[in-house]
Amino acid sequence: MKVCNAHRQVLIQEQIVSDGKPRIGVFKYSCCAGCEFQLIFFQEHILETFEAADIIYCRMLQSGGVEEGPFDVALIEGTVTEDWQVEQLRKIRSVSKWVIPIGSCAVCGGVPAIKNTQEEYLVQNRVYADTSKITSMRAHSVDQYVPVDGYIKGCPMGERDLTEFVTSLLLGKRPEFLRYAVCVECKLKGNICVLVAYGWPCMGPVTNAGCGALCPSHDRACYGCWGPMKAANARALANRFSKLGLTPDDVYRKFTEFGEPANEWKPGQVRTWAVAQK
Amino acid sequence: MEGETALVVELDGEPFLQLRIFEPPRFFEGFLVGRKYDEVGDIVSRICGICPVSHMITAIQAVEKAAGIEVSEQTVTLRRLMCLSQIIASHLVHLYVLAMPDYYGYPGIVGMQGQLGDRVLRMLRMKEVMNRLTGIIGGRALHPVTALPGGFTAIPKPQEFAGILEELRSIREDAGRVVRDVADFAVPDFHAPCEHLALDTEERYAINTGTIVSDRGLSIAVDQYGEHFQEAEVPYAFAKKSVIAGRVIGKARVEGVSPSDRGRDARDTGTIRVGALARLNNKFDKLQERTRSIAQEVGFSPPDDNPFHNNLAQSLEVVDGIEQCIQVLESTSFEDEELFARPEAGEGGAITEAPRGLLHHWYKVDRQGVVEEANIVTPTSHNFRVIERDLKELVTRHRGLDEPKLKLLCEQLVRAYDPCFSCSVH
Repeated sequence: MKVCNAHRQVLIQEQIVSDGKPRIGVFKYSCCAGCEFQLIFFQEHILETFEAADIIYCRMLQSGGVEEGPFDVALIEGTVTEDWQVEQLRKIRSVSKWVIPIGSCAVCGGVPAIKNTQEEYLVQNRVYADTSKITSMRAHSVDQYVPVDGYIKGCPMGERDLTEFVTSLLLGKRPEFLRYAVCVECKLKGNICVLVAYGWPCMGPVTNAGCGALCPSHDRACYGCWGPMKAANARALANRFSKLGLTPDDVYRKFTEFGEPANEWKPGQVRTWAVAQK
Repeated sequence: MEGETALVVELDGEPFLQLRIFEPPRFFEGFLVGRKYDEVGDIVSRICGICPVSHMITAIQAVEKAAGIEVSEQTVTLRRLMCLSQIIASHLVHLYVLAMPDYYGYPGIVGMQGQLGDRVLRMLRMKEVMNRLTGIIGGRALHPVTALPGGFTAIPKPQEFAGILEELRSIREDAGRVVRDVADFAVPDFHAPCEHLALDTEERYAINTGTIVSDRGLSIAVDQYGEHFQEAEVPYAFAKKSVIAGRVIGKARVEGVSPSDRGRDARDTGTIRVGALARLNNKFDKLQERTRSIAQEVGFSPPDDNPFHNNLAQSLEVVDGIEQCIQVLESTSFEDEELFARPEAGEGGAITEAPRGLLHHWYKVDRQGVVEEANIVTPTSHNFRVIERDLKELVTRHRGLDEPKLKLLCEQLVRAYDPCFSCSVH
């Protein structure tokens, strides 16, 4: 939460639910659109949500819409990879009370930011012979460009945080998003710790909760799709992985699959990567 | 439809038409280089939020082929179930959320609750059941977690399968209603012949394995894909166009053309169509009997070259897919098995039937299983050329219509193909 409490109080007194229904805009940048999908098919709550809120801009839901706002809430999906997106983002910020990135791409760079780990022109050249028309930049999360008012994390965004967000919006209260590690959820479920007991390289200790410890519950080590938890001890976990016998390359890959280099997982990304430079 | 696109049409003089896909490019093929073989499935599932399972399973199968990893019969069955359930869910969303509003004059699904509320609710319920089936096998429906090269990390319990089987039986009848809903769409009588491509096997309706066949006599193994298909870049879009190599546009000189085809318009040569309609055109006889009788009721009979009928074909696949899932679940018992995979150096590809048509993944991995090269061709790349050609044909034929009507018609046509532009700029 980058907006201070006093400011938030003002926002809430101004009433997020201004004329009865909050106005929501949904914007999509570079991503799979899965979060928007998750939002539209908000399970059985979808029709109630439509009744309670006005989704005035969402390209997947309806053609047209009010792109210029103003919005009570702007939900941003996807990684920012083009300069027009930055410009649009600044405009959105100026006409929105809340700007909330949804899903790992918008929150921490997610999968599209893997390209930041390699040289941009190499990555582009592997895909397009003619790169003259490409204007793609390094992939960055939304909060690198504008202040945001909270994150709905997950890949796809988690239902628990989404529900919390919608109810908070309707009640005019501050949403309480989960801010602890996957480990907590794992313990609550009574799972055996796959890192300690089986020696699997589990990202759970440094990954934000919200999935309900999905992977460890399915006999698999967490691969970090929820993105970094705040104040994660990435260095300790990276050391632990090395002791388990992972190569430096493997450790590096673990910490870069869902984390742009500029975040809490940075200590796990200590080594420059020797990809065959073709 | 899904993604950012503009259609540019100029009618003065020679009709000019471009489908400009300005969804920003995402370079998956570029940054997959250097990643480990067991990460590939998780990464590529993020290409698409609607068909993550297809990308994931295709990539895993391609990696297994490249790295020489074998899987059990049970794994094959579970993957088939996952893909079927996702295809049905994707079709339902496309038919009701993206296609239906066009035919009833709504800007989107919002607002449809009044007139079409019961249909929307029915669709949501069916979609939920299908998502639950994907979720039971995969851990979650969107970006599943249990599928890895070599098999599944966890096998669902028998009682979970029993529960979902009950639910599948309960939506069986609803599936027939979906077909009738879609048959109600007022589509133009528009014929656009071209080559329809699909995967086919002897014994069943092919989804994840088979040979690539076409209704004009093409029949090649999956390994030969690279020799027969070419991807070309276009200056006005970040998506690439894929065609069958060697089939020259404008000359009807194609090997294996049946005599009845020779008389057809030469312009359709080399243009390929993939997706539900193409599948039904190639393997209608592999459908369940119930599906075929429903098809007869609504007047669908292959060969059908009306692209607007892709919607109808999708709805028939919904019926068929649910029947297939029920049959598989009734006849199979699943057991826990050990997941084991050790990669070797090599290269290999796989092709599956994604909801929108043929999806190709190809990888080259080194001894450690690190990806050295990657190539992905999505259904929308395969359909790119035919969509443009059909639009051009449609616009030329309906030159006289006023603009909003023509625009709607074009939108209906593009949506009928159910293109995914997020996928196409992977």
